[in-house]
Amino acid sequence: MAATTESVKADAAEAPLLNKTNLIAGFMLYLVFYSFIRWYEGVYGWSAGLDSFAPEFETYWMNMLYIEMVIEVLLFSAINGYLWKTRDRKVMSITPREELRRHFTHWTWLVMYGWAIYWGASYFTEQDGTWHQTIVRDTDFTPSHIIEFYLSYPIYIITGTASFMYAKTRLPTYQEGLHLMYLVAVVGPFMILPNVGLNEWGHTFWFMEELFVAPLHYGFVFFGWAALAVLGVVNTEVMSITKLLKKDLA
Amino acid sequence: MSASQSAVRSRAEAVQASRTFDWMILFVVFTAILGGYHIHYMLTGGDWDFWTDWKDRRLWVTVAPIVAITFPAAAQACLWYRYRLPFGAVVSVLALMLGEWINRYMNFWGWTYFPVNFCFPSNLIPGAIVLDVVLMLSSSVTLTAVVGGLGFGLLFYPGNWPIIAPLHVPVEYNGMMMTLADLQGYHYVRTGTPEYIRMVEKGTLRTFGKDVAPVSAFFSGFVSIIIYFLWHFFGKWFSKTDFIADDAS
Repeated sequence: MAATTESVKADAAEAPLLNKTNLIAGFMLYLVFYSFIRWYEGVYGWSAGLDSFAPEFETYWMNMLYIEMVIEVLLFSAINGYLWKTRDRKVMSITPREELRRHFTHWTWLVMYGWAIYWGASYFTEQDGTWHQTIVRDTDFTPSHIIEFYLSYPIYIITGTASFMYAKTRLPTYQEGLHLMYLVAVVGPFMILPNVGLNEWGHTFWFMEELFVAPLHYGFVFFGWAALAVLGVVNTEVMSITKLLKKDLA
Repeated sequence: MSASQSAVRSRAEAVQASRTFDWMILFVVFTAILGGYHIHYMLTGGDWDFWTDWKDRRLWVTVAPIVAITFPAAAQACLWYRYRLPFGAVVSVLALMLGEWINRYMNFWGWTYFPVNFCFPSNLIPGAIVLDVVLMLSSSVTLTAVVGGLGFGLLFYPGNWPIIAPLHVPVEYNGMMMTLADLQGYHYVRTGTPEYIRMVEKGTLRTFGKDVAPVSAFFSGFVSIIIYFLWHFFGKWFSKTDFIADDAS
């Protein structure tokens, strides 16, 4: 009886398999942050974002660009550095329950990655289309680009690399080597950022008619396809999780 | 069964863990496909999808299905062949259309003030249902490509007809005959307007010609068959679970 009480106490003290607080907090973090960003560009896009030679453009947009780039480099280094520094050096010896718990944490990272991809590749990218159809650009650093290319893309890159780093440093499943599709899923969308260079080079022929389906944009398309590689990650995860749960589900 | 041998404490906990993973997987697949499919679609067929004056009877009918059948084919290649889930095409199209509708309302209207009845997205759902149903009934990639792919192209225009028809009625404006959709574009000049005039507004049969849409739809269907095959194999490749060995050197 005493032992049973002790084990119940141990169970109660044990961390839950899925930390729902982290999951909801992460989801809400991006939602609230991007809602604020959307409000900011709605107000200051029109009032300070039309003429890149105006002093208010420097105040509201270029300063934002400088600040976000510094913060992103710091965040990338801090998150990935922390995950690497605190890596599990005996990852192959963890218990099945701990492994399952880590899969849940890994999936919290993947949920964040999917959520970040939505904001970057869907919400802010198509939004850029309507901005350029409305406003004649006079700089590479238009308000929509400062949000899309230099904020939402780096955020999903940071989230994706952190997710990959978590899997590689804490899950036995990924100790076999480098998971090819995981690399594609993270590196492909990452390559959209360098492709911005090609895009801006092309648009330097100011004024160029703003056709969204112009071949100049096909680099984004090619790298966008890489998001499908998340299917390979899902397949690997399903096999691992099935192995962990199989006998208990039978 | 000791705690060190099993990941869960009971069958109930195993079931709960499995269901929780299902929801997380669905969310990630949905949002990743949404992002990838949306950036692909907006940059290969986007201008035809953005504006009603680009939604003509020739190029819109031709381009949209050809570039839209890609991700549904790839998603089916994973979800059906690995899990027997018969909704790869529909889930892809639903993801795309959710992303589009949010954007058209929040940004096209909410930021740059184009009315929603000028910039609503195309409807791709009928073709996606046919793709999934043909695959589910036949379990054949060839039949799905040929019958489903052709259907995807052919059904696009009828699937959008009830929505676009009121905007294709003829109007006379300043002595010019045009469609109501063209008149919308006339009043909402965009930076892409020169391209629109060069690419879309030039076919003499385009505006009111009765035979143009079905001919374009058949052509689109034929090309969609080829694109389906291609993207089926892309989907297979993206579904791989291979590792590159750390000591590959």
